Amino acid sequence: MVTEDKRSWGMVIDTDKCNGCSGCVTACQVENNIPLNDQNKFERGRVMSWIRIERYWEGEFPDVKARFIPILCQHCANAPCEPVCPVYATYHNDEGLNIQVYNRCVGTRYCANGCPYIVRFFNYWEPAWPEDLRNHLNPDVTIRSRGIMEKCSFCIQRIKRGSRKAKEENRELQDGEIKPACQEACSTNAIVFGDLNDPNSEVSKLSKSESDRKYTLMPQLNTDPNVVYLATIDPLKYKDLGEKAKSNEH
Amino acid sequence: MQQRDNQNRLSQEYTNRVLLNGTLSTPRWWYPLVSVLLFFVVIGFILFGIQIKYGLGVTGLNRPVYWGLYITTFVFWVGISHAGIMISAILRITQAEWRRPVTRAAEILTIFSLATALVFPLIHAGRTWRIVYWLIPYDAARGIWPNIRSPLFMDPIAISTYLTGSTLFLFVALIPDLAVLRDRTTGFRKGFYTILALGWRGNPRQWKMQVVGGILLSALMLPIFVSVHSIVSWDFAVTPAVEGWHSTIFAPYFVIGAVHSGVSAVVTMMALMRWGWGWNDFIRPEHFDALARLLTVVATAWLGFTFLELLFALYGLDAPEIALREMQIFQYPWNLLFLTFLLTGYILPVPMWLFKRVRTNIALMFWSSILVNIGMWLERFLIIVPGLARKSPFVFTWEAYSPSWFEWYVLFWSFCWVTLLMLLFSRVFPLVPLFEQKESEVFSDSIKIGRATVPTIFREEEEEEED
Amino acid sequence: MSTNEHHMEWPPSDPKVVKEELFSSTKKGSSSLKTISKFLGVLSVLGLVGLIGKFLIDGGDQTQWGYVAAILAFIFSVTGGAPMVAIAPFIAKANWARPISRMAHVIGASAVIVNIIIMIPLLWMLPPLVVEGARRRSIWFEAPVYSPHFWDFLSLIMLAIAGLGLLYVSALPDFAIMRDNSEGFRKKIGKFLAGGFVGSTVQWSTLRMRVGVMSTLYFFIYIFVHVVISIDFSLSMVPGWRDAIYPMAHAMGGIQGGVALVIILAWIMRKYGNYENYLNINVFWALGRLMFATSLMWIYFFYSAFIVFWYGKSMSDNAWLDLLIRGPMVYVFILGMLFSFVFPWWWLIWNKVRNSINGPVIGAFIALIGVFFERIRIYVPAWSVDPKLIHDKWLTVIPGTLYPDIWDILLILGSISFVVLTVIFISRIIPFIGVWEVQQFNLLAKPVKYIKAHGIRVAKPD
Repeated sequence: MVTEDKRSWGMVIDTDKCNGCSGCVTACQVENNIPLNDQNKFERGRVMSWIRIERYWEGEFPDVKARFIPILCQHCANAPCEPVCPVYATYHNDEGLNIQVYNRCVGTRYCANGCPYIVRFFNYWEPAWPEDLRNHLNPDVTIRSRGIMEKCSFCIQRIKRGSRKAKEENRELQDGEIKPACQEACSTNAIVFGDLNDPNSEVSKLSKSESDRKYTLMPQLNTDPNVVYLATIDPLKYKDLGEKAKSNEH
Repeated sequence: MQQRDNQNRLSQEYTNRVLLNGTLSTPRWWYPLVSVLLFFVVIGFILFGIQIKYGLGVTGLNRPVYWGLYITTFVFWVGISHAGIMISAILRITQAEWRRPVTRAAEILTIFSLATALVFPLIHAGRTWRIVYWLIPYDAARGIWPNIRSPLFMDPIAISTYLTGSTLFLFVALIPDLAVLRDRTTGFRKGFYTILALGWRGNPRQWKMQVVGGILLSALMLPIFVSVHSIVSWDFAVTPAVEGWHSTIFAPYFVIGAVHSGVSAVVTMMALMRWGWGWNDFIRPEHFDALARLLTVVATAWLGFTFLELLFALYGLDAPEIALREMQIFQYPWNLLFLTFLLTGYILPVPMWLFKRVRTNIALMFWSSILVNIGMWLERFLIIVPGLARKSPFVFTWEAYSPSWFEWYVLFWSFCWVTLLMLLFSRVFPLVPLFEQKESEVFSDSIKIGRATVPTIFREEEEEEED
Repeated sequence: MSTNEHHMEWPPSDPKVVKEELFSSTKKGSSSLKTISKFLGVLSVLGLVGLIGKFLIDGGDQTQWGYVAAILAFIFSVTGGAPMVAIAPFIAKANWARPISRMAHVIGASAVIVNIIIMIPLLWMLPPLVVEGARRRSIWFEAPVYSPHFWDFLSLIMLAIAGLGLLYVSALPDFAIMRDNSEGFRKKIGKFLAGGFVGSTVQWSTLRMRVGVMSTLYFFIYIFVHVVISIDFSLSMVPGWRDAIYPMAHAMGGIQGGVALVIILAWIMRKYGNYENYLNINVFWALGRLMFATSLMWIYFFYSAFIVFWYGKSMSDNAWLDLLIRGPMVYVFILGMLFSFVFPWWWLIWNKVRNSINGPVIGAFIALIGVFFERIRIYVPAWSVDPKLIHDKWLTVIPGTLYPDIWDILLILGSISFVVLTVIFISRIIPFIGVWEVQQFNLLAKPVKYIKAHGIRVAKPD
């Protein structure tokens, strides 16, 4: 186990396991007090969802495959959003997280332009919830006012709570003890969260062992993301192999 | 009163009387125009208050088009501000004689457009009331310094330096004229001008210091002049994530474009001054002629940079970049904007300026200079917005942008605001420098070469220490 | 207003004296000039040997040709940049540049042969547009396969023709003087070149128009050649290098070197041609300012590119920094920065230095060396890149430092010598200070005293 200040929180998303159910999106919405996205917001292009499922169609009809990639803040080690912020509202902390400090933000929206993954969201209005949902808000998460940026925090409230608990119980933080809301909600265990600097954690094993499937988004921009994707296994590629194996058996 | 003295020069009395007609008396149109402008400006302030109260939802911005009309207009006004130093400093250093009647107008255009440009980041920001973090940043209690790596932090520094420098520059050039006003006013106004004139009596030592101060400030302002728009361009150029922004040519491209639009704005303003105050003897067709020649060169250089920018956008053969350019140039509604931009920015005005008859026609120069600024505003719009509204690799974030009426009004407001400030200025200070005018009358002469009479200019040598 | 009261150096007002004095330099040749010419001739031959040797030994290996490309870029851009010193004042109707405009034109025409000789083997070495069936990135996009070679060569020929044409057009009245005032072969050359110029009103106004058109044309061709050659011979050979300001920065460096060449030549003419009255302090002062301005412009263009790469941090941005700044030529980069910008800037920023005869010359020498280093810094690493990588999105393997071999050194010395030799050769035929330019200069400008100040009264014909 690595000490606290040497951690580098990261995530591995296995797109082969993702079935596009959007459970993570909903869980994130509830956990992080994200305002509801109504029709007006969709029409005006001001939807907020810290994690979203990008859906792509592959192939020509009738051999069409739906492909899903959950996209959230990549917590880049070399984040393009950070140097452009004039007030240090977004910066890198020593646990490898790309932090958004709501209090400092003045809403220049420069970080959002810098972000190639378009995972930063601006509060165009003061957030509002229906009356009966007001008591469902998460007390651990700040409600963001109008005029500031927000984005995925890797559920920093859970990270803090977990680390605090481990400290109180005077023990090391265990791998898998901290789960962000999206991971918890994922029905197929496509999302794995953990410490990339701990060689024994599941994330580092996954991101290293299956290196032929491993990729990061937009490597040409040299952002060095902490979110690693595992490519979809193409069944067509293995179909011939399987048939060959079958014919060999006979 | 006699207009010309025995050497066929405009008499100094006539110069004083005509050039101070906006300051010592009030033109008839002044009050109605100022009231109308004031009305529009106040509405603008009210709208700004509404935006602060309810948030930037009142604009047409969305995700991912986070920057829109406000930033475009900001860049536009910073561009206009390049007129002053271009005309005053560069033409002073290169000893272009025709600059003289234009300098003051160009300098105040610089100052007011910069002041307006500085307002736009405030309008643009989500939490304007927190901008104090930017401008008064040294909050030792929090222990956080502003991020000097951010071009958006360099912007206010560069612009406020430029504003300070330009104001000083304007003031140094105003002193002799303030003394003239001091001697012609009474009461409160006299006191005001007395303080500002700093005891100017026009003795040789004072003149020498005024000239040296002007030249020194010209030279010092040049790096600032170049850096301001360069830094504004780096707002965009340092961002590799947005196609069409990450281009090395942006700094000089923006600066030359700024000179193009700024000098055109000066032409517009000169025409208005000639019509509004009747300064036909001072703002003459030959000045429009010289400005149009300068503009032809500047515009052609600018077109070359535009071409290089496009060439290198396509050079990489990257699919997203090519898709962006396709959208910017060929897809509705961008194609119409692009066509308008090319037509108004270059294709219509510049061939017109090749003819001396157009260059000396004030009405045509007025309209062609307005065309240029329509084109230059569109240029900034076409750089900033399509890059953000591009079809990115992530299909779930594609979004078009259409500015709301709120944003259009703020654009309109900025023009009213700058005009209002200029008109207020004209009531207090002369818009054409009296002493420059008189100096040019003294320095110019004519000689006979063969059969032709050729105008001449006296040029002073730099002082040499002779032993 | 009285004329010539203080002891200022000023061209004699008698047109006949001007003619005599200016033509005298074409006729008298000192023995040391002959010795120098012989020495330069030997070096030029050695340069040709160097080029042939290079071709025989490294003819199959593109990565060894960086220095050849660098010397071509250096020579064509600085000699080609020199006429700008005459063109810009001509268009702005500035009178001061008249005594040096001929020198600027001569330098512009001096490197025509060298450029073409070096260009031919380089074109041979240029990687093809289509490599292994795929088109590499270039500004020629979908153009036919022969494009870069054909157009690069054509553009250089165009520059040569424009340079010679500009010199010829602007020297026409002087050829007529030569025809009327000399004997022997000079008279023949004058008769042939002057083309019936007798100085009629129509001929003069046509001449002015011709010089104007040629100047404008030359300017556009110069920019075009820079765009084409700087991209084809360096930028497009490095994968991922996309730099829109680069052609302009390259051209600016060339103009900077061109100004330096004019200053150096003017200094030599003043010192060894005894032309103190023509090439007086006013000329050097103006040229010093120009030298200062071009140095600043160059660093501005360079920095505009640098900051974008530095901030961008993408893979291709970092590759650019690794290859061209902190890579194999890092020491040359530092020298280039010092000589192209830091030293000239800190030297020429002082009024006293600019307003002197020797000050601008020292600045010019420094800047010229700087431009040379800059060309090496760019071209040598760019050519060293493995041609197999040319299709990559960004450069992954940074080549090592390439040092010049004996052939490169011979070629560099020889080509520069040949350019100087050409200039000496031209000086035997036409005067380096335009006779008609000085005569017009005298018509339009006069030193005068106004109250207590000394100044010049300049006429501004429309």
